[in-house]
Amino acid sequence: MTSIRDIERELSSLRTEPGAETPYQRTSVMTHTAWVPPEWVEAAEDVLSLLAERHPSRTVVLFPQPDEEEGIEGDVEVDVYPVGEGRAICTETIRVRLKGKRASAPASVVQSLLLPDLPAFLRWRGLPPFGAPEFEGLIDVVDRLVVDSTEWPDLPESYRGLTEIFDRVAVSDIAWARTSRWRPMLASLWPNIAGVQRIRVQGTAAQAHLLAGWLRSRLKHAVELEHDPSDRLVGVEIDGEPAPFPPGDPPSGADVLSEELDTFGRDRIYEDAVRAALP
Amino acid sequence: MRFARSSAPRPAKTRASVATTQENPLLEGLQIRRTPDPCILVIFGASGDLTKRKIFPALYSLAYRHLLPERFAVVGIARTEETDDDFRERMKEAVQQFGRDEFRDDVWDGLADGIRYLAADFSDAKGLDHLVDVVNELDDERETGGNRVYYLAIPPSAFETVVDSMGKRRKSEGWRRLIVEKPFGHDLESARHLNGVIEKYFDEHEVFRIDHYLGKETVQNMLALRFANGIFEPIWNRQFVDHVQITVAESMGIEGRAAYYEQAGAIRDIFQNHLLQLLAITAMEPPIDFTADSVRNEKVKVLRAMHTPGPKSVVRGQYGLGYVEGEEVLGYREEEGVDPQSMTETYVAAKLYVDNWRWADTPFYVRMGKRLPRRETTIAIEFKRAPHPPFEELAAEGLRPNVLLVNVQPDEGVSLAIGAKVPGQGMTIRTVHMDFLYGGAFRTGLPEAYERLILDAMLGDATLFTRIDEVLEQWSLVDAIVAAWVRDRPGFPNYPAGTWGPPSADELLKRDGRSWRRH
Repeated sequence: MTSIRDIERELSSLRTEPGAETPYQRTSVMTHTAWVPPEWVEAAEDVLSLLAERHPSRTVVLFPQPDEEEGIEGDVEVDVYPVGEGRAICTETIRVRLKGKRASAPASVVQSLLLPDLPAFLRWRGLPPFGAPEFEGLIDVVDRLVVDSTEWPDLPESYRGLTEIFDRVAVSDIAWARTSRWRPMLASLWPNIAGVQRIRVQGTAAQAHLLAGWLRSRLKHAVELEHDPSDRLVGVEIDGEPAPFPPGDPPSGADVLSEELDTFGRDRIYEDAVRAALP
Repeated sequence: MRFARSSAPRPAKTRASVATTQENPLLEGLQIRRTPDPCILVIFGASGDLTKRKIFPALYSLAYRHLLPERFAVVGIARTEETDDDFRERMKEAVQQFGRDEFRDDVWDGLADGIRYLAADFSDAKGLDHLVDVVNELDDERETGGNRVYYLAIPPSAFETVVDSMGKRRKSEGWRRLIVEKPFGHDLESARHLNGVIEKYFDEHEVFRIDHYLGKETVQNMLALRFANGIFEPIWNRQFVDHVQITVAESMGIEGRAAYYEQAGAIRDIFQNHLLQLLAITAMEPPIDFTADSVRNEKVKVLRAMHTPGPKSVVRGQYGLGYVEGEEVLGYREEEGVDPQSMTETYVAAKLYVDNWRWADTPFYVRMGKRLPRRETTIAIEFKRAPHPPFEELAAEGLRPNVLLVNVQPDEGVSLAIGAKVPGQGMTIRTVHMDFLYGGAFRTGLPEAYERLILDAMLGDATLFTRIDEVLEQWSLVDAIVAAWVRDRPGFPNYPAGTWGPPSADELLKRDGRSWRRH
């Protein structure tokens, strides 16, 4: 059993190198909270380890374990990075296992660990349980929710819950971010693309629905979608004609999340695309 | 229906801005990175160090990030006989040695495909005619629309010939931009003359005078620090600031550049450009927006408001034999190519005033020099002491005034010195530092100044380049200082290499009851 005070105390001691007089300098640009159900643990750890160095932040990783005996267990980690000659900065990762009923009240844990005056991001792995107390509580204490709708089943219907929280929290969707190379390319097809009736997207279901939703919402007319499943976005056809492939390499998962963590405001174009993706 | 790209989508405002357009609803909300129009970059002095160490590594980094136009070419011109392949191979090695990004063959091959080299004498009309032919051919081949960027990476003495020759061969098709390296002239008169040559063929908006300090992220961060934070600007004035110290220190010597340095000295090498630009950015009023003219209008007002320091307010020095980083180094007069009786200064310290409403009577102490103990560029704003600290005298004896220190290089960042209670019984106050390390908060590598500047020149954005009126004001001040030097001959050398300059530089502040920052 761990208390928040234990976590703070342990972090403080880790920030000082054994034998050194002055502690490492803590550098934070945000609090980054990640909700990681068991099936997402491995994938989440990979991305988080790449992110820590790019976005020095306090990272709070929440592992819900509702079937365990009630309690909180936590461990902390301080990563030290050299900066300049003889100087080092540290970032903090706090892993909290929320057991039993505690898994339904994570906001009360996160609130006490948020760094004051800095933006708070919540990365939710998998489909959020819209309406459930653990999710509703968390989105009220963060500034931005980051999801990847590629991880969601039953698209586009699953987007319905998302549209209901747009007025409460800014939302980033990694699936949408992964279409960002393609949208300028499609926009460059103007005016020929203005009357598009049907698109065929070879990519994930999320990418297909979001691109179709984007075209419908921006062009303000119906656009029929044909989806050709693929694990990444590799082709788009406009009324049967293949669109040119966008330049550059597709960014890595960490790159995409990293860019989303630099974004603060609401993305109204995305919100419109999600609404228009719904049947 | 065919779906070829009609044209690259254009943002409505600036880089990474939100593009909006009435015609194309798909552009709304797109974050489109601005890339320059197709163009050919012509580098005069392509066999020199600058091309190898800075220009090509910068071009590679821009290519690596897809920031160069799709239709782009580089033509290098210099006297050295070399084939296209030899030049490409040398530049490839330079990128591998001096570039900041991993070397990728596919990125290099894309860039190298458009590289040509021409061996010619700048003063030879036939050679320059041939250059024009090569560039025109390349223009047709790569469809660059007649757009040219001329980069003068050559000694100032060769500027005039090249500008004159290229100006006479100017065609109306496409746009032209001229990048000029510092120093721009040797004094006020030569700068005016050089500008006269340039303005015969190029409008001011086509001229990009490089002061690479302005391309440094941390110098630009000074603008963010001042104008994006509500807490600093209200106290950024004579009421709260006791004085400002600007240090541009180099630990290296003249590195084989005796011919240039004997003519320039510290005052022309650093003071006239980098140092006065740092001062202008520190002292300027908030611009109404971040456009090139708004920013430069405010900087030039500062330069105009500076009065010429009297002889007692300027100290010059020259290094003698000494030790830097444990290594014994030669004195300036012993360096190869330097006159053994040289009176060229390698150090300048000065007390300057900006005579305006904000800064009246607030001294700006500046110093710059070679063979100082370490490489460091800093701007330190020292605030006035608290009017009446309610502590016993002993308790606060270790307390120093608040200092906001901007580290331009190395350890880029900002540090604020504040008084804090020492833990324990009683009240003892000590000065501690709150540090913001630029590289600590933003873990992406800082772009090299030349990447930003070359890209901006291609985009036609002159915000980070010096305008002619700034250059002339800078020379005007330098000429006045140098004129006073004719009358005296200080006993050079007057500081050993590896020290912070001559004792008279310390006296300069001591007379005012102040001292240089401790290092």
